Amino acid sequence: MDKNYHIFSDGRIERSEDTVRLETDDGEKKHIPVEHAEAIYLHGQIDYNTRLMSFLNDHGVAVHVFGWNDRYAGSLMPERGQTSGRTVVEQVRAYDDPEQRQSLAASFVRGSIHNMRTNVTYYNSREYELGGVIEELDNATARIDDASDISELMGVEATARRAYYQTFEAVLPDSFAFDGREYNPPPNPVNALISFGNSMVYANCVSAIRATALDPTISYLHEPGERRYSLSLDIADLFKPVLTDRLLFRLVNRKQISRDDFRDEVGSCLLNEEGRTTFLKEFEETLERTVEHPTLNRKVSYQYLLRLEVYKLKKHLLTGESYDSFKRWW
Amino acid sequence: MSDPVSRLVATAQGDAVDNPFRVTGVMMQYYYVCERELWFESRNIEIDRENASVARGTRVDESSYGERSQENLRLGMIALDLLEDGRVVEVKPSSTLTEPARMQLSYYLWYFDRVLGVEREGVLAHPTERRREDVSLDDDRCDKVESAIRGIHAIVTADSPPEATEKPYCESCAYHDFCWV
Ligand code: SF4
Repeated sequence: MDKNYHIFSDGRIERSEDTVRLETDDGEKKHIPVEHAEAIYLHGQIDYNTRLMSFLNDHGVAVHVFGWNDRYAGSLMPERGQTSGRTVVEQVRAYDDPEQRQSLAASFVRGSIHNMRTNVTYYNSREYELGGVIEELDNATARIDDASDISELMGVEATARRAYYQTFEAVLPDSFAFDGREYNPPPNPVNALISFGNSMVYANCVSAIRATALDPTISYLHEPGERRYSLSLDIADLFKPVLTDRLLFRLVNRKQISRDDFRDEVGSCLLNEEGRTTFLKEFEETLERTVEHPTLNRKVSYQYLLRLEVYKLKKHLLTGESYDSFKRWW
Repeated sequence: MSDPVSRLVATAQGDAVDNPFRVTGVMMQYYYVCERELWFESRNIEIDRENASVARGTRVDESSYGERSQENLRLGMIALDLLEDGRVVEVKPSSTLTEPARMQLSYYLWYFDRVLGVEREGVLAHPTERRREDVSLDDDRCDKVESAIRGIHAIVTADSPPEATEKPYCESCAYHDFCWV
């Protein structure tokens, strides 16, 4: 699987012969090899032109743009593989069929809770007493099948997530108080880390979805249009505990990330450049980690697991074969 | 006219058919290689498997056309590798998957006979192994081709693909991860 490249500085990227050249406002020059790029992430103010866009398009490289407060601003997606009328028709059909939508949404919730639970179990077996959280997650799982509509499923998911966040309070040191999940803007370091990590998971899911000709705007658990690429929200929820949360616990507990890695502004707290660099380096390494796949009989990277998840959904939509969401098995 | 075989003949002869039906040589080959793959191909389901070591993706096309794809003789639904002294020659780089290749060739002979009204003999050639095998269209073979045409029709018109069953070539198939994840 190919690499992601993150650009923090301000400057400009352009095509230069058969590669992409970054020139920062400080006069630094760097090359980004496109043959091995999955996507380029722009975190700073970057200029580019159409010549670069068609070059990246030819090489199937996506560009994900992040704006103020590290918020995902949008993507420029390569065209390759993204047109399949039949796939989109089947995607919409499944959305329109209440039973099928419910069952897909339920599968997403089941997988998300399972993956949260795996994290809790991991820390519970260590030095933390998290039996209560596990129980709450199991109760939530038991309610999935009884949910009569999507909003009830959403409720189940929200209850589970609230319980799950107690783990953050327990596992993280006191200097990293959590106080519950808050979004825009994140009020403290833990929320800043979650927001930043989750937006990376989200963008990686956008790449995975676009590589398979599914339409990222048609989703099942989340309402289409809730965000531009709502299918990414469905898929990302499955992977946040695996990709963001475990990494966050590790970085904070091993003091690789400290209070100094954030900048506080009125009412908000964001990672500073150093913090983001540390987090992303480890995040990208996590994506490259591999695990033995139980049915493919080979090792696959965490990043490829995202792609496989979209394949599974696509297979379900096109063949009617059942979809079973990703549940961490290791 | 609901029999796929007569529909195919009528379509190939340019008759006005309500419901035209086409079978290419590659489809015939897929039918014998993997019915599920035939279903996927018939619907243009594209999977870009990125695992470079097995990025074959075109196992059947490669083996049937090789590098001479520009020189194919197109005759309606079929595309011949070559005609030699009036004999239909199908060239295979290797002798793995011989039966699918033999059936593809048999289909060409059948097509000559039923659609174009000429009898031809066939040769399956493996140049790398310096082996040639004569194939002719006897009654048995003819029945086999026609039942394959009906079988192909049933598969490509079905709402869902035949279940995945493990085969030695799954490992190198473009749909591997799609089937087995
Ligand atoms: S992976 Fe195997 S079962 Fe699936 S389409 Fe390919 S050959 Fe057929």
